[in-house]
Amino acid sequence: MNRLLKIGVMLLCLAIALSAVTLSAFAQDDPRRPVTDDEVNAVSKKLYCPVCENITLDTCGTLACAQWREEVRILLSEGKTPEQVIENFVMRFGDRVVGTPADPTLRALALITPWLLSALVLLATGAVFLRWRKERPAAAPSAPEAKAATSVRTFAEYRARIEADLAARR
Amino acid sequence: MTELPMTHDVLTERAPAKRSVNFITVLAALILASMALIFGLGLRHQQQTQPTEGMAPLFTLQTLDGQEIALEALRGQVVVINFWASWCGPCRDEAAELEAAWQQYKDKDVIFLGIAYTDTERNAQAYLKEFGITYPNGLDYKTKISAQYRITGVPETFIVDRQGHISEFVMTPLKRVQLSAMIERALAKGTQP
Repeated sequence: MNRLLKIGVMLLCLAIALSAVTLSAFAQDDPRRPVTDDEVNAVSKKLYCPVCENITLDTCGTLACAQWREEVRILLSEGKTPEQVIENFVMRFGDRVVGTPADPTLRALALITPWLLSALVLLATGAVFLRWRKERPAAAPSAPEAKAATSVRTFAEYRARIEADLAARR
Repeated sequence: MTELPMTHDVLTERAPAKRSVNFITVLAALILASMALIFGLGLRHQQQTQPTEGMAPLFTLQTLDGQEIALEALRGQVVVINFWASWCGPCRDEAAELEAAWQQYKDKDVIFLGIAYTDTERNAQAYLKEFGITYPNGLDYKTKISAQYRITGVPETFIVDRQGHISEFVMTPLKRVQLSAMIERALAKGTQP
């Protein structure tokens, strides 16, 4: 009985050792790592559905998007970074997966217009600021200077007017 | 005594700002024009439909088994170009019908080309295996071919005659009988280019 127990324990130990060796070998063969849904969604947010208009992969319920999300998971599990996954999708499916228009003219305009708009805003702000800087001394001179200038001009004009009135009476 | 109204030469004081204002106006006009162009092009792009006549846009398909098939090299044969995807339900409905039609016409100067739209190689291969499809199939790399044919979804099928002209276009799942009739019409259009 005791001998049988010993053999049983030995066999059990052997089985455990064998399975450990097999599992470790399997783990070395498969370099994939587990990928969480959050990781998949973080990448999927930056990719667009191939079927719907302006809907990102993470919110799309179509089978096409489900397959693409699975593809994202596989690529991430293979050790690719999110940037590499996006690059891989662009390489395979074109720029439209990142929301860039497919039409080349449209794409060029869509890229240039925001920069033009920014330039316009900057220039307009700069022009307004410069005008404000230029106009400030003229529009709002210091109080004593303004008073003196006004009084000199007013006196000269009054005098000219009085002289003109007197001349008219003569 | 009333104070005389002060005259103020506004025009001469504001003159230097005129050039910058003009430049901003030009820039604003440029932006408006480009935005209008974006809108116009977007609208035009939306209104573009699949070609139903004229020369079929040329392409080279890299098949899933490693061949390269150029449409131009297929002149003299009727070509059935079918856009599909493994995630597309209606494509599954027509898959067996297409294969049956291919078996019927493969020795009669007719070639079928399957183009998987926005599909992964793994899923596309599984789909082909599932339906036992034997005619050449390939992925639409960068969706360039589908853009040339301006497809709006899948499945969509184009029949190209022996001269390379688009003979017919269908955007619904096909039945074998319907496809056979279309192929026969294309075959009847002429023999050699």
